[in-house]
Amino acid sequence: MSVDSRLIDRVAVVTGAGQGVGEGIARRLAEAGAVVVIAARRAVTGEPVAESIRATGGRAVCIETDVADTSSIANCVAETTKRFGRLDVMVHNAFNGGIPHRLEDAVIDKHWTSMSRTAAWASLSCARLSEPHLAESSRRGAGGRLILITSPSGVEGSANIPLYSPAKAAQRAIAKSLAREWGPLGVTVNCIAPVAGSPALMTAFDRNPALKSAIEARTPLGRVGDITDDIGSVALFLASDDSSYVTGQTIVCDGGSFLGL
Amino acid sequence: MNSSADSHVRGDCALADRLRARLAPSARASVIVVDVDPTPTPVGDLDDAAIERLWERPMQSVIVALQEAHREGRDRIVVVVPTLGQSGGASYAAQSALAEAARVLVKSAARQWSDRSVNAVVLEPGEWGIDSSVSGPVSIAPRARSGAVDPVPLIEWLSGSGATDVTGQTVVCDGGQWM
Repeated sequence: MSVDSRLIDRVAVVTGAGQGVGEGIARRLAEAGAVVVIAARRAVTGEPVAESIRATGGRAVCIETDVADTSSIANCVAETTKRFGRLDVMVHNAFNGGIPHRLEDAVIDKHWTSMSRTAAWASLSCARLSEPHLAESSRRGAGGRLILITSPSGVEGSANIPLYSPAKAAQRAIAKSLAREWGPLGVTVNCIAPVAGSPALMTAFDRNPALKSAIEARTPLGRVGDITDDIGSVALFLASDDSSYVTGQTIVCDGGSFLGL
Repeated sequence: MNSSADSHVRGDCALADRLRARLAPSARASVIVVDVDPTPTPVGDLDDAAIERLWERPMQSVIVALQEAHREGRDRIVVVVPTLGQSGGASYAAQSALAEAARVLVKSAARQWSDRSVNAVVLEPGEWGIDSSVSGPVSIAPRARSGAVDPVPLIEWLSGSGATDVTGQTVVCDGGQWM
């Protein structure tokens, strides 16, 4: 573990932390001293991440959480506060869906429901269920932070997966509204729109090597982001006191490939 | 969502009714008014039933309305939403999600349906019944123009041949309240 102590003794929940961007965020928050709850849908992916954080001196546990099920989110929040007595940072990253389709042929149950449940519904439910704890965190002077992981596609739209974009766009609007609603509480709400080397993207690169070259070519920094060093570090900034005057914003963390905000 | 009798204007809210009365039927154009509930709803009240009512059902209606417009061969689609999606509003988390999702879905449609020469745009009129004392300021600056705003001429232009090269865009028609 590093000597960064910006989140010492604070408690963070990261959904979808069993792999990819969520894992990178969880590792970086733990390196800064946070107790991290790896809220993964399956312990078989979440527990190894928690174990590996503990092995390097960090503090982490896995709580099986299916964000498509509101009662499962409620259980995660309740179990977190029961074990650790507080919740200071809620990061909602988990997402399921994204099958390429034609919009005119899209079927709600097949192409929309899962994305809607895991993006918009889960963001609202994570907010509702964590609100009293984040407000209490703010009263204690520990901030109170909600961070939603969205996508550049939620700004630009998508020709390949058209219904993916509105699901992710909803999260940006939720962040703005909650920033206004929770401002008086001192709780901040922000989004990160990352492009990073998640397992899904790596698999896509394996299948289509030209895709990697194409993404690198359109990215001013010429590379795909690292889940911990590039994305996790932005999440740490938003989770820490360093960002106490930043709320309602979306940080596009993609090496500069999207410059439209 | 009302989409059968007067399919040139789809939507069940009062604004849709007003537009339906004033816009001439068109075989090419379809105007979709998103049904955003103006009732303030704090996030603490957003249980599953409320999310279903304020987000899921109206969003599915938008998707279906776009599909129907495409199926009918309409190549000028105007989706009408409040600026709430861009501005956010306290006690409007679910409704702002709906407005912004609909807005960005239009960008997706514009990108994908360009291969069928379909134009899709968003119009954001100022009036919606959103309680600004609850939602907070839309902009930090005062409104640029005073007086009532009429979106009908702009919808007619966006639906016509003069706007052939305009697609995927959002036009705010509110007298300069949101910039």
